Formats: sequence, C-alpha cells, structure tokens
Amino acid sequence: MSIKLSSSVPTDREVVLGILNNSEEALNKLYTGYFPMVLQFILNNNGDEDDAKDVYQEAIIVLYNKIKSGNFELSSKLKTYLYSVSRRIWLKKLTQMSKKTNNIADFEDVLAIDEDIEAHEHKDMQFDKMKVALESLGEPCKTIIEDFYIHNLSMQDICEKFGYTNTDNAKTQKYKCLQRLKKLFFQS
Amino acid sequence: MRNEIELEAIIEDYLKGKLTADEHKAFEQLRANDPIVDHKVVAHKVFLESMQQYADILLLKERMDAAHHGIDIAALSDQVRPHPSRIVRIWRNNRSAIAVAASFLILAMVMVISIQNQSKQVGSFEALNREVRQIKSSQNNLIRNINTKVQANAVAPAKFGGSGFAISSNGYILTNYHVIKGADSLYVQNSKGVSFKVKAYYTDPINDIAILKINDLGFENLGTLPYSIKKSSAGIGEQVYTLGYPKDDVVLGDGYVSSKTGLNGDTLAYQVAIPVNPGNSGGPLLDNNGNVVGVINGKEHKTDGAAFAVKSKYIMEALNAIPQDSLSKRVAFGKRSALQGLKRNQQVQKIQDFVFMVKVYN
Repeated sequence: MSIKLSSSVPTDREVVLGILNNSEEALNKLYTGYFPMVLQFILNNNGDEDDAKDVYQEAIIVLYNKIKSGNFELSSKLKTYLYSVSRRIWLKKLTQMSKKTNNIADFEDVLAIDEDIEAHEHKDMQFDKMKVALESLGEPCKTIIEDFYIHNLSMQDICEKFGYTNTDNAKTQKYKCLQRLKKLFFQS
Repeated sequence: MRNEIELEAIIEDYLKGKLTADEHKAFEQLRANDPIVDHKVVAHKVFLESMQQYADILLLKERMDAAHHGIDIAALSDQVRPHPSRIVRIWRNNRSAIAVAASFLILAMVMVISIQNQSKQVGSFEALNREVRQIKSSQNNLIRNINTKVQANAVAPAKFGGSGFAISSNGYILTNYHVIKGADSLYVQNSKGVSFKVKAYYTDPINDIAILKINDLGFENLGTLPYSIKKSSAGIGEQVYTLGYPKDDVVLGDGYVSSKTGLNGDTLAYQVAIPVNPGNSGGPLLDNNGNVVGVINGKEHKTDGAAFAVKSKYIMEALNAIPQDSLSKRVAFGKRSALQGLKRNQQVQKIQDFVFMVKVYN
C-alpha cells in the first residue's frame, strides 16, 4: 500500500497505556492510524466506506474491552489484531447479507480471535438491549436516566434542568423511570 | 412508595460505596436478613454494570466518531479502493508476497552469478612438459658438470621431456603436441632406458595431440598392445591412473575423474584428480580395466590435484587421420582390453613397456 501508515501510528504500548488511562488522544491516534488498513480491506471485499466505519469501530470496541478487562497480552501486533477482528466481523456481516465470502482479498496476517469475538457478541447484545430499553422508555425518562447514569449529573442538576419543584419530586420521577427501564432491560 | 425510593437510593449508594461504615454495616445486616432486599441489590448491580458498559461504549463511539470526522475518507478510499486495473490490484493484494519473491529471485541471481564466477577457475593452465634442466637436483647438476668436464664429447642432456605411449606395435607413439612443439630432434626412451630416434608424424595443435614414429634400426616390434582405447567417455568418479616420466623412471599416478570438462569448461578434456608433475604430459590415462580414457596434458597452476587429460575421443580422431595401412597391430577401439580383471600392479607391469619418455632437443 502506498499509504504511509507508519507515520501517524503510535506504538502498541502507548495505545494500551492510553486506553487504560482513558486517554482520548491515544484513541485518536489508534483510530486514525489503522483505519486505512481496514478501509482498504472492506473496500476490496464488497463493502463501502460506511461498512468500513462500522466494522472498524466494532473492532476497536473489541480491542478496548479486551484491554480494559485486563487480560490483554501483547502477543501480537495491535495492527494484526485489529485486522483479524475487523476481518472476522466483516466476514460475518457478509454471510448475514448472504454475499459471497470466498476469494477474500487479504492484506495482512490473520490471527485466530474466536474467543474475543464471542465475548464481544455477548457484550454487544447487552449494549443493544440497553439501547432498545432506553429508546422504548420515552421522554423525559430516557433523558433523566441518561443524565444521571451516563452524564453523571446530580439529582439537583436534573431537578433544575427539568424544572421539578423539588429534588424529591425529581427523585420520585427518576425512581419510576428506573423501575420501568429495569423491567424493560431484564425482560427483553 | 417513599420507602421504596429510599431503599433504591440506599442500594445505589451502597453499590457505589457512598455509605459510611456504620450505614454500610447496618445495610449489610438488612441485606442478610431480607432476601427481597438482597435480590434487589444483585439486580441493581447487574443493571448498573450494564449501564456503565453502555455508557463506556457510547463515549467510545462518540470519540471514535470525532476521530472519524478528522479523516479525509474520500481521499483515503480513492487510494485504497480496488484499482480498476487488475495488475495494480494483484500488486496491492500481494505486495508482501511479491516482495519476498523478488528478494528470493535477486538472491538466487546473485548466488548464480557468484557460483559462475567461482566456476571460472582462477588458475592458469600449466603444460607438463619437463624442463629437465630446471628440475635437475643440484647434486645431479654437479655430477654432470664434472662429467662434462671429463668427457668433452658427452651427449648433451635433453632440454625437455614428456611421456608418450604406443598406439601400434610398429612404433607409432602418441604424445602431446606441446611436448614436441618447436623440437629440433626427438627421441623416445623406453622403460629399460633404451632410446630411439623418432620424428613427428602427425600433429594436432587444437587437441594437443601429436603422433611420433620411431625411425630407428634398433627398434623391434612391440608386440600386441595390452590396452585398448575407450570409445565412450569416462564418468565422474571413475578410478583412473597414469604412467609417465616426470623423472627418469616410470612413475604411477593414481586418482579419479573429477570433472567432465577441463580448464574453464573446456569440453575437449577431463579434469582428473591425480598428482602429476612436469614430464607427465603425454602419458596415457587408463581406467581400472586397462582402457585408455585420455592423455594427460596439463594441470592447473594454482589448484593442487587438478590435472587435465585430452579425451580418448580425440585420440581416435588423430588415429583416423593417419593412413590405416601404415599402422600394424594398431591399438583397438572400444574392445575389451587384455588387462581387464588384472590387478593394478600386473597391469602396470604389462603397460610399462609401451609407455615411453619423450626427449626433446632444441
């Protein structure tokens, strides 16, 4: 490939440490560093730029979860790992779309990453469940829950933001929302 | 309802570790006593974890989208998308493989070139006619000097020497052209030390072959030749030996055919691993069955144990070039030699009467 991947690619250690420290810069470097590789793979195997974005982001999530879970060993290059995961995810998508998956044009070495993919699929299901649950919650519950649990606003902030007369009312509202969400989440 | 909300708040604080030590203890107590509360704690824990993960991934996606935004996707995909040209596509897909193949190819070429260079033998060809004067020992020299002083008319010693062997019973001797080149007069001397005057009958400078004819009244018919000339060529590794006159007595040299070509790939000659010395030139090269496979004609200057021999095929060509009726009981081609099955010493015994020292005066 004529693209100079190496110029902007951080070392593997930098990436692992950066992810463990929640460094946005490390993620940026990682993301821009290896995206061309995956884009090339997808474009050469029946995909478009959007497919590449989805697959690549999923692969980074797999890597991210693996690093965060603490059992990540640098037994291979991150590049090879990301490529293998992306490849696997894309092959799966191709099969789901019942497009042909033979004659895959490869650009890098491929690792066996079955376990990681399985773990990822489980987590992905949880994510989707939460997403669906939140969406079917409706407003204002969805925003209250997101503000409290995701954006880490205090009950006081939420009370002011939504214009509740006092925190207790806000708390009651949040409690009701949470009960419904839990029901949706656990029952789906 | 109120209690429920309070309980939920406490569970959340408990799970987030916000309770004081006393409250924590009290709540643990409550949890242990009340299975419903305990279940709520577990459920809420699972929920919180899922929520945390959801939040993490959402954040990650946000950050990735931001990063994605910074990439010029259109330009990039133009660079990496499948090229309309098949060749460029193959090149891109197999860059590393092609690179490896190319480096192997280059390596192989370098190796071939270096082997070819090596196979050019650096040594130069050294003809093995003997410059008698040069190799005479000093003591010998001294004696001869004394002799010449005493006997003023003593025969001058030969200036050059070589070997030769009979190719017919009536006195035709085969030797190397380079041995007799530029000679004024030629003599051959047999193993018993008797000399006969000869003259050059046929010369072939290209194949380095010369045939001499004994013109001497003292010469008697040699009788049937014990060896024959081998028609086919000798293989590498074939045991061969030679008889010659690097000194005043006949000397046996033993070895094997080491290559089917001579110096610099010369197809006229074999390379043989036989220790030879000046004076061996023109000597017959025989295999174990007593067939002449060649004529020793030189050695390599710089390499030890690499001598060269003109192939027997060219001996036959030389023989065919002289009138057949002038050769009586000429050497046989491709026939079973009379020496077959004999031991080496017995073979030498029979052959040595047919191998001559060629003495050259000029």
